[in-house]
Amino acid sequence: MKRLALDELNLEAQPGAFAGTLMNSSRDLVARVCQGDQEAFRLIFDRYSRPVIGFIYDMVSDRDLAEELTQETFVRAYRGIRGMNAETKLSTWLFGIARNVARESLRARVRANRHVDLEDKSVLDLSDNEPVPVERLLSKELNDLICRSLATLDEDKRVVFTLKVFHHCSYEEIADITGFSLAKLKSDLHRARAEMRRRIKPYAGVGYEV
Amino acid sequence: MKCEGCLELLEEYLDGELAEREASEIAAHLITCAACSAERATLAVEQEMFSRYDRELEVPALLWEQVAEQTVSPLSKPVSQNGFSALVASWFRVPSFGFSLATAAALIVIALVIGMAYMRTQKPEPNKVLAETPRPITVTSPEPKQVPKGDQAEPGNRDFVANNGSSARRLRPNRHSTIDQSDVLSSDLGYLDVDDQDTAKHIEQTQNLLRSIRNVSVADGDEEIDVSYDKALSRRLLNENIVLRRDAEMKAKFPTKSLLADVEPLLIDIANLPDRARAEDVREIKERVQKTEIVAALMGYQDRGPNNR
Repeated sequence: MKRLALDELNLEAQPGAFAGTLMNSSRDLVARVCQGDQEAFRLIFDRYSRPVIGFIYDMVSDRDLAEELTQETFVRAYRGIRGMNAETKLSTWLFGIARNVARESLRARVRANRHVDLEDKSVLDLSDNEPVPVERLLSKELNDLICRSLATLDEDKRVVFTLKVFHHCSYEEIADITGFSLAKLKSDLHRARAEMRRRIKPYAGVGYEV
Repeated sequence: MKCEGCLELLEEYLDGELAEREASEIAAHLITCAACSAERATLAVEQEMFSRYDRELEVPALLWEQVAEQTVSPLSKPVSQNGFSALVASWFRVPSFGFSLATAAALIVIALVIGMAYMRTQKPEPNKVLAETPRPITVTSPEPKQVPKGDQAEPGNRDFVANNGSSARRLRPNRHSTIDQSDVLSSDLGYLDVDDQDTAKHIEQTQNLLRSIRNVSVADGDEEIDVSYDKALSRRLLNENIVLRRDAEMKAKFPTKSLLADVEPLLIDIANLPDRARAEDVREIKERVQKTEIVAALMGYQDRGPNNR
């Protein structure tokens, strides 16, 4: 098996191109962390903290909690990195931990009856509002709309949708992260897209212009 | 292929998850069927809207330090923890409810000594005797509030705040101070400001990707090539490309739009490769990159000034 990599480029000669963290492959970084290289773990954090915090935020819809859970994710990752399967992609593995951490937190919230009430009228009434053309939607409004629509999806659909649409994971990677079968994954993704479309369509106008 | 079959597989096709044969059938059908083609366009617009989603979420600069506290031994602690300095630091490490008697006694003794010294340095003024009465314990008590604010911002004094209790977000980090992640391979880079700077950065990354494909050496004996990294990168760039191309079109930046449109088929093809692509497929893309001289075109974009884009 041959690896097609960016090795053949002298990236350092390219101004601003893939400087810093990208010069280290994830596999190398994992190996270095296992050998006790603390800086390598810092590079892993730098590379993946943003997608991880974004993913967790999509799951829990709470910024402060997302920060706490991101911290917990990387602490668990550090403690478990020596047991990581060499064949597993680092991003997939981290998302898997993040998903577990987020799920535990959501369940704890449900137990404490402090969870976000997804039946909140303000969320479900989205599609009853007057439609606004997408061109006139301010990005903040669009962000709020997507965020609130995302919160209405059930947990399984939300995780699949987030990983596919926002993090561009392949079906195989999503299956690895969630443990879902391919059939369930496809079904959840299709339904999640349909639900999101139903909520966003009134805002985007009938038949989005291309 | 019929429309029902096409529509059923359309999402998977756009996700790049179909086998080569099915993908070819869908592609052929889309050329001939206006209805299915319109559906594909709708899904593409939807995807574009989602790609603009920005959580306005930053990674607080202090998050790493909180992680490091519990994982790697603190890398950023310049204060020596040996000998006397460690002892002093331990006094300031509050709140620590496990205060030992010895530490408490030492504190009281030091407070008294400092208090006495303070009294001797002050010349008693007859009218202010009561006001000048020293209160040794409060003067030296190492309450956290007495750590000057300026010190908290100093890396050298970070221990005083970093170790004073439980580890979970004791310090509310400044949301605006973030780790510079401009070169991080992140799938959700912000799309709020789709401007020339974003386009230039995108084109630079695309150029590097295509250059790596162009420069790959495919030997005759090769059967498979692992392109999983390049594929993932291409998927991200593809989504960016769609957004930026439409943005350029709306702003009447036609040379940029044209360049991005030229790049898109290549990105789609790379994104649709399996993780372990057949050598001949990679070779075919490589040849197209060479033949179209797209890398040179991308370089040309970077060389042009913003006014000529």
